[in-house]
Amino acid sequence: MRRPVAAMLAALVGTAVPAFARDVPPSLPPYTTAYQPQGVDERGVWMEADEMERGLRDSKTLIADPKLNGYVRDVVCRTVGASRCGGVRIYVVRDAEFNAFMTPNGTMVVSSGLLLRIRDEAELAAVLGHEFAHFELRHGLNGFRQRRSASDVAAWAGVIAANATTYRTAQTMQSIQVSAIGSMFAFSREQERQADLLSMAYIKASPYDPGCFADIWDRMLNEGDATAHGRRQRSKRYDRASFFATHPTNIERATYLRDLAVDMHKPGEAPREDDAPRYDIAMAAWRAQFLGDQLKLNDFEGTDYLLGELAKTRWTPDLLFARGELYRSRGNPRDLVSAVGFYREAIAQDPTNAEAYRGMGLAQLRSRDPAGGDALKRYLVMRPDAPDGAMLSTLVQ
Amino acid sequence: MKTTIRISFAVAAIALGCTTPALAGNSLIAKGQKVAVAKSPLTVTPDHEWNKMGARPGRNSETWTLDGDSLNDVTFYGGIENDRTLFREVSKKTKPLPRFAATMLLTDIPALFENSYSIALDTQLMKIDGVTPTTFLGTKGVHFSYSFSRPDEEVRRKGEASAAIIGGKLFMISFEAPNVYYFDRDIAGYRAIVASATMASVVAAR
Repeated sequence: MRRPVAAMLAALVGTAVPAFARDVPPSLPPYTTAYQPQGVDERGVWMEADEMERGLRDSKTLIADPKLNGYVRDVVCRTVGASRCGGVRIYVVRDAEFNAFMTPNGTMVVSSGLLLRIRDEAELAAVLGHEFAHFELRHGLNGFRQRRSASDVAAWAGVIAANATTYRTAQTMQSIQVSAIGSMFAFSREQERQADLLSMAYIKASPYDPGCFADIWDRMLNEGDATAHGRRQRSKRYDRASFFATHPTNIERATYLRDLAVDMHKPGEAPREDDAPRYDIAMAAWRAQFLGDQLKLNDFEGTDYLLGELAKTRWTPDLLFARGELYRSRGNPRDLVSAVGFYREAIAQDPTNAEAYRGMGLAQLRSRDPAGGDALKRYLVMRPDAPDGAMLSTLVQ
Repeated sequence: MKTTIRISFAVAAIALGCTTPALAGNSLIAKGQKVAVAKSPLTVTPDHEWNKMGARPGRNSETWTLDGDSLNDVTFYGGIENDRTLFREVSKKTKPLPRFAATMLLTDIPALFENSYSIALDTQLMKIDGVTPTTFLGTKGVHFSYSFSRPDEEVRRKGEASAAIIGGKLFMISFEAPNVYYFDRDIAGYRAIVASATMASVVAAR
């Protein structure tokens, strides 16, 4: 009984903690444009991806702003080079989670939650370069093949185990089943690492600083911790790659990416301070909406951490307003007092911020502070056509 | 072989006395009769027949429909208590819903509704379109209209709701339907329900 379990554990440890020390990014492989799928597997995978893309093109979650899309395309092209980026179709979707992926036919999907969390252009380049690397390495197809053959092994082992006459045979077959499932997910982890390495090779040839990729994973770890803490759950930061995890744990990733960046001895051509304003300008029209979507997630501590990270040392009026809304929505008496403070600071920096007057008025009224009426009156004067104007007027009386 | 199985199922059903349809629990609401809803003192008188769904969205709520779930739904929230969610959570761990608080202002109700929907349906496409004051259940209330689509389908839905906070509990009746055909056809029936809504005297006396 003990032996298969021990063997299983050894196999698990083997897949869970690969030796990542001091990887070297590969040199850029030659690239063929307008690649066509070969063989029945690849054609099938592409057909599915085409179908998904057709749905995506008409999806209401799509953000069709040509300026925003143009900017994201520009960053992809600067990262992977003009010849590589030519065939990519980019879709920015309204999804508050941090996410980006690329399908085998060259569809790149970027979520608004990712755009909200990214600090500057170099970080965006690193993430999108990573997704492009999956595409170039044809991981979608390899993953499909690997999954299929692994499932075949698992299925056949299951049949044999079910028909096994002795207990011992059944045990052995079950452990084959487990290790086949294990290898299927370990394969995905290996793919993630390969994509990380190739994306570092793109960054090496691009004008961007390679150091930033590790920073992103650090922040994701911290945000995850904050969310877990707020929901009274255990931190997942130091978890080893779980048996079914398809990605390396973020901490493992942060570590090997940092090592790679240090070994490359390459600062960005332009300092990252120059990337930040370019990024901020591109996001200016959208940040209020992205922040609004984040506030709806009912994740108080994660959102508070995120706002702090976005602010760094300077709290801008939009971030102060968002923080006011966050505290007001939790609505403990102390939160309402804090919220009023944030709205007040937002107004001090930008007296034309009508929404901050609305938030401040409502927070004060909920704390039974009659001053709230004045703030709401101010809001109604500034926004005579407010969609909730009639309702707010009844609170003022 | 198949026929044999079918017949034996039919025999079993008759033997067990199952004369009701497969989806037992749904029931017919007669027109013009007062009926208490959502296990609460909230009482309404519909002007035509409705089907009450067997499955409840949450503890103190129930849903009525004409043509089927998600084609035209009237949902009654019969006294959501302090620190309770509007409806059952999809995942308490990964997608907890915001909770109602007795200290909320009436203007906080549409925001609570919007956030609960966008988390439960996993969509950023949920929007409150307008908020107006109203009289609901004989007291100051809030009326709001909203629209949303689920991320995986193209149907746009519209909705309306009236809510009031009575004795620290939230009472609300909402209606939603696809904006093509169903919403316009059935909104009058919903408004008749809201107009007829009263609180049974038990609570009024409390």
